[in-house]
Amino acid sequence: MSSLQVDPLQQVETTCGTLLYELQIIWDEVGESDTDRDKMLLELEQECLEVYRRKVDKANRCRAQLRQAIADSEAELAAICSAMGERPVHIRQSDQNTGSLKEELRKILPQVEEMRKRKSDRKNQFLEVVDEIRNISNEIQGTMECISSKTVDEADLSLRKLEELHRQLHALQKEKSDRLKQVQDHLYTLNSICLVLGVDFKQTVSEVHPSLGDSEGSKNISNEIIEQLAAAIQKLREVKLQRMQRLQDLATTMLELWNLMDTPIEEQQMFQNVTCNIAASEHEITEPNTLSVDFINYVEAEVSRLEALKSSKMKELVLKKRSELEEICRKTHMVLEADGAIEYAIEAIESGTVDPAYVLEQIELQIAKVKEEAFSRKEILEKVEKWLSACDEECWLEEYNRDENRYNAGRGAHLILKRAEKARSLVNKLPSMVDALASKTMAWEQERGIEFTYDGIRLLSMLEEYTILRQEKEEERRRQRDQKKLQGQLIAEQEALYGSKPSPSKPQSVKKAPRMSTGGASNRRLSLGGTMLQTPKPDSKATPHSRPGRKSDRMHQIDQLNCNPDNGFTALSTGRRGLDVAGLPIKKHSFGAREVEPPMMRKPFSPISSTASSKTNITNFSEDLNTATTHSETIQKALPTSNMNMPFSTPLKTTTTSVADEENKTPRAMPIPVPSTPSTGSVPMQTAMTPAPPPIPFAANVVEQIPEEIEYSFEELRAGFVLPKTHMKSSMIQV
Amino acid sequence: MTFVPPPAPGRELSNPPSDGISNLRFSNLSDHLLVSSWDKSVRLYDASANVLRGEFMHGGPVLDCCFHDDSSGFSVSADHTVRRLVFSSNKEDILGRHEAPVRCVEYSYAAGQLITGSWDKTLKCWDPRGASGQDRTLVGTYAQPERVYSLSLVGNRLVVATAGRHVNVYDLRNMSQPEQRRESSLKYQTRCVRCYPNGTGYALSSVEGRVAMEFFELSEASQAKKYAFKCHRKSEAGRDIVYPVNAIAFHPIYGTFATGGCDGFVNVWDGNNKKRLYQYSKYPTSVAALSFSKDGRLLAVASSYTYEEGDKPHEPDSIFVRSVNEIEVKPKPKVLP
Repeated sequence: MSSLQVDPLQQVETTCGTLLYELQIIWDEVGESDTDRDKMLLELEQECLEVYRRKVDKANRCRAQLRQAIADSEAELAAICSAMGERPVHIRQSDQNTGSLKEELRKILPQVEEMRKRKSDRKNQFLEVVDEIRNISNEIQGTMECISSKTVDEADLSLRKLEELHRQLHALQKEKSDRLKQVQDHLYTLNSICLVLGVDFKQTVSEVHPSLGDSEGSKNISNEIIEQLAAAIQKLREVKLQRMQRLQDLATTMLELWNLMDTPIEEQQMFQNVTCNIAASEHEITEPNTLSVDFINYVEAEVSRLEALKSSKMKELVLKKRSELEEICRKTHMVLEADGAIEYAIEAIESGTVDPAYVLEQIELQIAKVKEEAFSRKEILEKVEKWLSACDEECWLEEYNRDENRYNAGRGAHLILKRAEKARSLVNKLPSMVDALASKTMAWEQERGIEFTYDGIRLLSMLEEYTILRQEKEEERRRQRDQKKLQGQLIAEQEALYGSKPSPSKPQSVKKAPRMSTGGASNRRLSLGGTMLQTPKPDSKATPHSRPGRKSDRMHQIDQLNCNPDNGFTALSTGRRGLDVAGLPIKKHSFGAREVEPPMMRKPFSPISSTASSKTNITNFSEDLNTATTHSETIQKALPTSNMNMPFSTPLKTTTTSVADEENKTPRAMPIPVPSTPSTGSVPMQTAMTPAPPPIPFAANVVEQIPEEIEYSFEELRAGFVLPKTHMKSSMIQV
Repeated sequence: MTFVPPPAPGRELSNPPSDGISNLRFSNLSDHLLVSSWDKSVRLYDASANVLRGEFMHGGPVLDCCFHDDSSGFSVSADHTVRRLVFSSNKEDILGRHEAPVRCVEYSYAAGQLITGSWDKTLKCWDPRGASGQDRTLVGTYAQPERVYSLSLVGNRLVVATAGRHVNVYDLRNMSQPEQRRESSLKYQTRCVRCYPNGTGYALSSVEGRVAMEFFELSEASQAKKYAFKCHRKSEAGRDIVYPVNAIAFHPIYGTFATGGCDGFVNVWDGNNKKRLYQYSKYPTSVAALSFSKDGRLLAVASSYTYEEGDKPHEPDSIFVRSVNEIEVKPKPKVLP
């Protein structure tokens, strides 16, 4: 049996032989004819062949399929290799057939698998790169819709291609970073400009593109944005340039004004940041807000303030120069012509039609001219002054001569006499003086071809007038002398009729006319009168009520005042101006007080010798005179005899007045102040009934009337205790 | 009248203060003498034995002092303080302060309170038994119209004399306001005020040699009794020189009183009979303070310049204790007509 199993074909052959043998047996039995038998056998043979043929066909087909698969795989492999740009792997050398087809296929299939895998990897790489490229290009293009369709070319997945793509990607990445940088730069520039201009950076940027506003968000780096940014920068830069120009103009103006007006450094310091940029170029101005609208307005305001100041100063200067001019004219007694010119000039300056500097120059020119003229006039003017003062003296002399009492020996009379003497000699020189002056003036006029004016009046005419007047006066005097002589005769003849000498008539108005500026004489007289009044000074001790004790002093002063009424009071009354006549009575008082006040002081309670005169008593009084006890004033009226006792600081009393001491209303018994013997009879007190307790009218009045006086006890004085009040006085004054 | 030379001024105490004596007082129990001075000290003497028993130094001139009992006393100073002095231990503590120098002090046995008067224009009452610390010792502060110059007590009555010649009379049991507000009858600054021992009134002296005798009762009959008299004056060639009357001291038994003036004299007066009883011989300088001992047998006289004429050379400050004869202080009945 085992052999059967080993060879099935043999087995099949055996089975076929047996089956044939069986069939012959069957056929023999059946007795089949040979033909049938042959037929049957042929049939069987044919059927067998058929089966064989079918099987071979199948096998053949299978082989073809296998071959096809191998070929396909090989082709795919080749394709992949070529796509990836690799050398194709030749597994099967054309001639040497290494194995069966199935082996071959088995060999080739993993290769194909691997290559497929590699290919997909490669493709993924490509896809990545391409994706990136697309993203970047999208960013750069600034639009999202384009080149999304770009796909990977399957056919070419070679490394070369990949490299190429990578290069492309790199290029794009670089461009992107460049653009980012550019945008950043632009933004930075924009920011700095905005700062300088004082413009809100965020808002400006948002206007360019909303996305630029967020500092953290992804930056848009498309061409469009960059262009817009550049445009914005350009625009702002122009603005900056404009403003810079403006500021620099302002700064220049400011500097000029400072220079002109010597503006103090402190004031300049505030605008140092403006002026320091005066020559800066655009890129040098980086300080924030230097060019903001507010700042420029601020600077503008300052400049306009300075300008206003300048114009006012200018005006001031013009006026000053003008007054200088007037002063010179006044001093040299010239009349300033074209009076309205300056007023007009001022108006013109105010309205801005004329440059103040020009006006100033004009005035200065005028001043120079006037000065020059004044210099030439100087000599003559001096002579004129001399002449005029001589005229004054002449006037005074005339008045003096008319004074009947001029030889009364009052105070200062010798001075007046001396003056009169001098005046007489001066008057004698007057005609020659006038002549000399006239000839000098004429020479001057001839030299210059203009008239010499004195305060607008021609000097020559003044001189002429004076000479005429003088002649008239001379005439008058002569006539008077004649008349006097006549009168003298008349008086001598008819003394009984007239009784006394008639006063000489006073030709008062004779002298007044020719004098232009001669108030001097009367002024001088006034001051003379003043000295006779012994220079009254206002005195703090001036009390309107003077004490009776000083009456004699006062009377004496009044006498003194009365003794020379001519020199004192008349001088004052003739004073036309400058002296306050109303102040006179006060002054009179004040100097009463001065004379009474001797510098002597005495401490309270120190015993005074009885020989001390009443004068010292008064001295003590005056100690508290300045605190003016009006109270004691009233007491004095009531008790005139006891007035010495009033202030406590004078503990001195006369025994006679103590009888009338108002405290002791009732007359008391005989005072026995000497010590008594202890053993003998006691001594009665020097008592007196005191008034009823509550109000003591005198004392109460005292306390109320003098609230500002603070009394201190000896202890307080010794301790240096001072009441913590401001109004008190440290002097010890009892009520 | 014949002039009999007055007896010797008395025994001078040794160790007197080195500067002006502001006050001196005899104890109510013994012959101890408490003396306050401008030399910032308070001294306790045994007057009968002439011994300095103790000394307290203060921060400023001591303007017044008084006894509490024999073992303690009080002092007030220009440094604004009110102090309690304990003699046995020689210790002192500050009862409290005023806002200005304190001028005078009195201890009331009736109220058990210490009364101080100051130039800060207030009167303050203190309870010296209270524990230390101003919150507990200060009983009350009473505003015065002016700086307080002098105080005097009798029973429950307190008389306060101030600058501006005000006189306030208080009842110690109701210090909220004065019982009477008066004005000095004298025209010049008050120097000293002392109550009569019988409690009916007070004597008030002024800087102008004059003493007023006043009565508390306001009835017309009482007020009719009041009067003032001149004293401490010198008559010289028809002129009076007046001196301040610095001190008044009543005799504890007879009710007569002594006055001391800047003339250096001490006079003893009988107020009822309006008589001067005695004049002691002149002391070297102003009489600044006077005090009778408890039984009236001794009179302490502080002869000490009171700076009435400012700083000037003057006699040394000294304390005299003299025995008092009855005849010098006993009132003499009026001679019947």
